[in-house]
Parts: sequence; C-alpha cells; structure tokens
Amino acid sequence: MAHSLSEACTPLKSEYDSCFNAWFEGYLEPAVSTTPEQRTKFSNQKAAEYEEKCGKIWEKYRSCVQKAVKDKQLDALLDQARQENPLKEPPNDSSTNKASSS
Amino acid sequence: MKFFSQSFLYDDPWSIVSFAFFLRYPNPYASHVASCDVISRSLSPQGTLITTRLILKHGALPRWAPKGIMKNAESWIIEESEVDPFGRVVRCSTRNLDHVKIMRVEETITLRQTEDHKTIQHTEARFVSGFGWGLTKRIESHGVAKFKAHVHRSREGISVILNLIRQSRMQPM
Repeated sequence: MAHSLSEACTPLKSEYDSCFNAWFEGYLEPAVSTTPEQRTKFSNQKAAEYEEKCGKIWEKYRSCVQKAVKDKQLDALLDQARQENPLKEPPNDSSTNKASSS
Repeated sequence: MKFFSQSFLYDDPWSIVSFAFFLRYPNPYASHVASCDVISRSLSPQGTLITTRLILKHGALPRWAPKGIMKNAESWIIEESEVDPFGRVVRCSTRNLDHVKIMRVEETITLRQTEDHKTIQHTEARFVSGFGWGLTKRIESHGVAKFKAHVHRSREGISVILNLIRQSRMQPM
C-alpha cells in the first residue's frame, strides 16, 4: 500500500487500509435486485460494520494525518479547494453515457 | 483550455474493477505517486460512499520549460469520489492543488456497469494554463500529450491490480 504523507502515519494507514479494503469488498456487492427497504437495511448494516471494525483505527489514522496536513501547511490549500468545488452531486448520467473517444 | 475524453471497456465485472481502482496505488506503473492518504470518508444518507484522498505526485517538467517555473516538480492532488453500489457507478474527480497558475488539470473518471456485466470507464480531462508569456498554449498541449500517455499507463496499472485480485480470489483462503 502507498505511503502516508507523513512517515509517522504510515503504519496506521496500512492498518486502516487493510480494514477498509476487507469491508469495501463486501460493500461493493449488495444483492442484485433490492427494494428500497432492503437497500436501507444493507446500508445501515454496512455502516455499523464499518464503525465496529474500522472506527477506532480510522480515528487514530485520521488524527495523525490531520496533524501532518497542518504541519505541512496544506490545510489552507485544502480549504480553498473545498470551497471552489465541493463534491455534493450524486453520480449523474448526463455526461457519462456517451461513448466518445479522442 | 484543452479537453480530452476517452472510453475504455474492461471485461471484468464492476465490483472487481472498482475495487482495483481504489487499490491502484502503489503499482509498477505509478512510481510517481509518493503518498496517498484518505482525509475524509463517510456514507451518505443514500448509502453511497464518499471519499476524499490527498495524493502527492512527482512529475518531470518539460525540457523547454523556463528555469525556476516550479520550485520542485511535486504536486498535491485532491481526489473526490463517490461509490454507488446499487446503481453500480463510481464517480471520481481529481485536480491539482498547487501550481494551478502554470496549469490546472481536472480529471473525471466514471466506472459504470454495462448490461453484459462488463465495466465501462469514461475519462474526461480539462487543461487550463494561466501562465502567459506566449507559453499558455504550449503548456496546455504538453499537458494533453502527457495525459494521453498517462491514461494508458494508469490502465496498465489497474490491470496489474486486477490480475492480483483474480489470483487471490482463485485461491482458497
């Protein structure tokens, strides 16, 4: 797995990534045809599972990276990027179905 | 402004390609990636997974670039993605945080399941330089040329990871 931006955080990142990847494999494969109720149930289950299995290591890893981001003075760059272009739209079909190539 | 767009079809199912996509660093075709961190991650009320990653890339400057154009050939990249496991879509956009006056590159990748259970990747990129000095167009053209080579290499990288996933799934745990 790739290194963290701070060497001090790399062991925490490796542990977190392993936990996340195991969870993510299951998250990517919900039952094929589901009702909205089943979807909600699946989402809630996966959210609870993530919190239970990866919640603690995520908190440790995140606080380590947050400190490193501040130390390297990257927080201003990030804040600026967030204001300019926050990701809030759900995936949309409008621009992605045309099979163009150049 | 220059624009690039391309589609590519993977024979593998969406869940595996999407998994490989998130695992793509490190791989032998991405030696320019120095670090990759998750800085935020959450599940939306709709059940989609929203992730922001901060990536540090090393990059070589073109030979004709004026000396001192960049203090170092490093660039911080922000990657924002959303995974929808029900709609079978990954949408991911990246852009550089620094050196934006020299050139701002915005890339959007979508991975979508096709009807015959393969995966279509659609890539779009925009290149905008505000450099001036008669170099704007040259910088943008250089950006597109480099990007075309990069698109091929990043697919090779994902293929390496796809092979590893296939191999590990064939072996009993």
